[in-house]
Amino acid sequence: MVEQPSVVRASIIVAAAALLEAVLGPYLTFGYVSPKFALIGIVFAVSPLRDLQAVLLGFFGGILLDSLSSGLFGVGALAGLAAGALSGRVSAVRRKGTERVLLSQVVAVCVAAFGLLGWTARNLAGYGGPPLAEYAVAGILPDALLNAVLAYLVGGWLLRIVSVKSRVWESA
Amino acid sequence: MGRRKSSAASGFAALCVLCVVSLALFTVYVKEGDCSAQGECGPLHTVQLGAAEVLQPARGVVGALFSPIRETADRVGNAFDNSEEERLRAELRDTESLAAQTSRLQQENERLRGLLEGQRAVYEYGPLARVVAPVGDQFSERIIINVGTEDGIEDDQPVVVGENTLVGRTTNVSRHTAQVMLITDRMFAAGVRIVPPAEFDPASGEVSPAVTAENVPFGQGMLKTSLEGYFGVDYVDLSARAEEGDYVVTSGRAAGRDLLEPPGLYVGTVESATSQDIEQFKKIVVDPAMNPDDLEDVRVIVGWAGKGA
Repeated sequence: MVEQPSVVRASIIVAAAALLEAVLGPYLTFGYVSPKFALIGIVFAVSPLRDLQAVLLGFFGGILLDSLSSGLFGVGALAGLAAGALSGRVSAVRRKGTERVLLSQVVAVCVAAFGLLGWTARNLAGYGGPPLAEYAVAGILPDALLNAVLAYLVGGWLLRIVSVKSRVWESA
Repeated sequence: MGRRKSSAASGFAALCVLCVVSLALFTVYVKEGDCSAQGECGPLHTVQLGAAEVLQPARGVVGALFSPIRETADRVGNAFDNSEEERLRAELRDTESLAAQTSRLQQENERLRGLLEGQRAVYEYGPLARVVAPVGDQFSERIIINVGTEDGIEDDQPVVVGENTLVGRTTNVSRHTAQVMLITDRMFAAGVRIVPPAEFDPASGEVSPAVTAENVPFGQGMLKTSLEGYFGVDYVDLSARAEEGDYVVTSGRAAGRDLLEPPGLYVGTVESATSQDIEQFKKIVVDPAMNPDDLEDVRVIVGWAGKGA
């Protein structure tokens, strides 16, 4: 018996995470800090997949998040894309047993990138935003840390869900 | 090995293409503007409005589930916070002294009411709307209400709680739902006047004629959440009157132009008013009358006397 990643399961995880963030996110927002379920879902769900699958699924998750939320369209898509690509790349170098730690760090990087992208997009769109230094210290940094911890806590469970056991002759 | 390399190459190609697609989506979204611009929404805004309609029941359920949790958290917070109790005691003392004055002023008020009648804006309300859920991200303060275009609601209409306490403004209105951009949202701005307590009655929304006269003696400015993060009134002249405890009400018109809100909507009270000679305007911090967490039922003002006149 070997463990194989399931694209269908990964897609369901990504979709459920985006839905969860759209519905629950506003209740769990404290200042600039909020749980980024979609990014956590993307990073852990696509990590066992191949690069192309990871990138496509990341983009799909981001688009879904953009559609379900009322934020600027395209920002979630770019962040999802970054999460998918980074997670896919990290999976090529990881060692058995360190997945959770490594992917939690990827989540932190992706959340920081999402925050920066959101801030830049708001300014480009003319909506304005807080000063970057203030936002970086009071927003991006604690947001990245909180989500990394959250990712570490639920990551193992997500990795188990996305993998299915199959016989050797089935996976050949 | 070859398969992995091929996947990495195609993954990189897909990454580049999808990056461009994401940027294109962002550009289209910003360019198509909000739904109020040309009367109809662009495709990406329509997708978000459709999703909001579909998610409304789920958001309602989650909102109902979170409501007792929030109430409990508020109670726990209040139990450890004596400042709220002290503030309420001070408020009670003020109210008692005001009550004594009230009876004396009541007769005079009735005599003057007839004269003021012409100054009060008569609002036309939409149907009572229930707050479904908060929406938005860390940069925005918005809620969804369960009325939409089928109830006669349009974009950019003022939303109030009670008779005249301003909550925000409608945006992204779909058939059965509408988003409300709260007054504390960074995108919200409104023309306001700063009125001494003796010149305005928050309960009725009646503004003294002295305040609405052309040569206004009181502070006027733009209500918004500043970049520094405080909720206040900008562009108030250094010489204008603005003191702690004054009321902040919408002005309705600015330099002969109609604003999005009618005059006389109650926004909050001045928490602090400071000025420095080096600055051009006063720094006025406002304590909003509405609390987003307490909102349950609101009304949209769909029209008012003198609108567009």
